[in-house]
Amino acid sequence: MTVGLVIVSHSARLAEGVVELAGQMAQGKVVIAPAGGTAEGGLGTSVDKILQALRQAASPEGVLVLLDLGSAGLAAEMALELFKQDHDCPVMISSAPLVEGAVVAAVEASIGSPLPAVAEAAMAATTLPKLPVAEGQATEETAPDDKPAGDRT
Amino acid sequence: MPVVERNLLITNKVGLHARPARLLVQTAALFQSQILLQYGTQTVNAKSIVGVLRLGARCGSTIHVRAEGEDAEEAVRSIAELVQRNFDEAEEADRRQGESTTGVSSEAPA
Repeated sequence: MTVGLVIVSHSARLAEGVVELAGQMAQGKVVIAPAGGTAEGGLGTSVDKILQALRQAASPEGVLVLLDLGSAGLAAEMALELFKQDHDCPVMISSAPLVEGAVVAAVEASIGSPLPAVAEAAMAATTLPKLPVAEGQATEETAPDDKPAGDRT
Repeated sequence: MPVVERNLLITNKVGLHARPARLLVQTAALFQSQILLQYGTQTVNAKSIVGVLRLGARCGSTIHVRAEGEDAEEAVRSIAELVQRNFDEAEEADRRQGESTTGVSSEAPA
C-alpha cells in the first residue's frame, strides 16, 4: 500500500486537473482523490466532498491532503474531524503549493515512502525553481530534507 | 560495502525534468543501496524527487552517480541504462522537436 492523496480545490475542474497530472507521475500506484467545488457544483469547498475523498484515499499508510488556497484549510479540518470518527488512518494536511506539491507527493508516495516523508517532499517542492537556473547551479542552497513548517496532523 | 561510481551524460531533450526525474527516482528506489547524484556543486539523494528536480540537469550535462550497498553495481547499471535510453522518450522527443536523438551513450567510468 502507498500513501493516498486528497486534492482539495475551490474548483472541481482544477482538482480533477491536478489529479490527472499527479496521477501521470504516480503511474497508478497511488490513490489520488479530487475534492473540488461545492456540493452544488459551484466554486468553493465542500466538507462532504472532502470527507468522501478522504474515504476514497484512506490507506493504512495514511493520507496527505493538499489545498489550493488557505481558505480550504478550515473545510479540510472539519472533514478530517468527521473522518476520524470512523477511520484510524493517519492524515496530514499540507501547506505545500498544490501543483508542485501534488506532483512531488505522488512520486514520493509511488516509491512507498511513509507519510511524513511524502509530506516533507511536498513542502520541499516550495523551493523548486520554475525556470531553469544557471548551468549546474540552483538558485539557492536549501537542504531538501529541511523539516516542513506548514504540516500539521 | 561495494561502491560503484559513474559519470552519465544526459542526452534527452528536456534534461532531468519532471517525467525523467520521476523515472530516475522510481528506478533508484528499487535498490537498497544509498545512491547519490552529483551535478555541479550539488549532491542529492537519487531517491528524492525534490532533490533530483533541484539538480536541474539539462541536456548535454554530465551527472555523477555514486551508489554504495550490496546492489550498487546493479543500481548504477539500471540508472545508466535509463539515462542512455533517453528515459524512453527519444522517439517522442524526435517527433516534437523534429530533430534526431541517437540515444548514443557517452558515459565514462568515474
